[in-house]
Amino acid sequence: MRLFLLYFSVGVFLIVLQGTLLRLLPFGPVVPDLVLVLCVYLGLHHPTMGAALGSFLLGYSVDVVSSRLLGLNAFAMSLVFLSVYLSSRSIWIQNPLVTSFVVLLAALVKGAALVLLWAVFLSVEGFWLGAARYIIMEALVAALLAPVLFALLRRGQNYVEKFRVAAQ
Amino acid sequence: MLAFLRKNQVALSSCCCLLLSIYILTAAARGQLKNEPLSALLMWIMRPLQIASQETVDWIKGFQENYDTLAGFRSENERLRKRVQALEVERQKLLEAEATNRRLKELLDFRSHLPDTAITASIIANSASSWFQSCLLNKGSADGVRKGMAVVTPLGVVGQVVSVTARTAKVILLTDPNSGIDVLVQRTRSRGIVSGSLEDGTVLKYVKRSEDIQEGDRLITSGVDGVFPKGLLAGTVIKVRKQHLGLFQFIEVLPAVRSERVEEVLVVAAESGAEKKP
Repeated sequence: MRLFLLYFSVGVFLIVLQGTLLRLLPFGPVVPDLVLVLCVYLGLHHPTMGAALGSFLLGYSVDVVSSRLLGLNAFAMSLVFLSVYLSSRSIWIQNPLVTSFVVLLAALVKGAALVLLWAVFLSVEGFWLGAARYIIMEALVAALLAPVLFALLRRGQNYVEKFRVAAQ
Repeated sequence: MLAFLRKNQVALSSCCCLLLSIYILTAAARGQLKNEPLSALLMWIMRPLQIASQETVDWIKGFQENYDTLAGFRSENERLRKRVQALEVERQKLLEAEATNRRLKELLDFRSHLPDTAITASIIANSASSWFQSCLLNKGSADGVRKGMAVVTPLGVVGQVVSVTARTAKVILLTDPNSGIDVLVQRTRSRGIVSGSLEDGTVLKYVKRSEDIQEGDRLITSGVDGVFPKGLLAGTVIKVRKQHLGLFQFIEVLPAVRSERVEEVLVVAAESGAEKKP
């Protein structure tokens, strides 16, 4: 429960960052999707029910603050978590390069899911070309930042576990 | 069944989340999600964080704008400073060119009164010793300069060439103790020798006590030494002292040309006998 709260708090913090400070980064219109990276991390290192629910809630929170339609990101993040969780059974991920690659694929999955949902629930003219560009750019940026965020999350997790052991 | 659920609880819970998302999406698309409490709760949680974060962003943006403005001023200031420096250099060049032009014009006018063999030269160095009053010219034997030639300017006598190389000539100045130029006092036509001295500056030697010499008298070259054309100004008398003993007067002279201020000169052949009205 503590870890769930910790990761959810981190997720909320990342959502806030994505809407404010990270807009200052020189990535043009693309905002680094750190929430996606967090969901991938959860899928890889904390494959629990709580993590699945956390991914959904984080996606939903993104929808609350930014999406026109509730449920878009919730679906996408849940799908990312599930995909990563299923693939983590068959691959061993410790290398930062592989981490980046997994995040890149996860971002593509998320992008594809969003495109699909947009097509079904929202109809916007001239959407496809822009969406493809955004998906690729967002995936690249997320893959670039993934190793750093993974390292920070791992360090935070170690700190919490040490604290828990000391408390016991 | 329970074991299956437990074994696949993560995947199943994810699938449930996916289905829930689809349900939410459908409901939202139909406009059935109004005053939904979870959204309100999440907004309530995130709002203070967003406000604080946005203030940080505003601060950073303000700082960045101020920095950009200052950097703009700085670069503009630097650009203008460089421009001023460039203009100042240009102005100096123009002033220098104007002054050089004026000097050369005077020299050219003066040259028209001298023999055609007169050679224009520039002073490239002055004496390296305080014991000697000399200078170096940028013309030498290759340019026609010979030992013994007179060195003059429109203002008057400078000195005499004492040695030459192919490209340089050394000139002993009028103010050197080793120099000696035969001159006339323009007003009285009395003769004497103008020479430098280490203790009294430039003096007029060998003028009899009986001669009428006054301060302000102009001294011109006599032309009899075969070196300097007749009539060039050598200097002006600034002090006259008749001693109790001795045949001659003591006369101090202000040279017509201050060599340290001269840049271009004319070198005139010794045998020329051209006359020049001062």
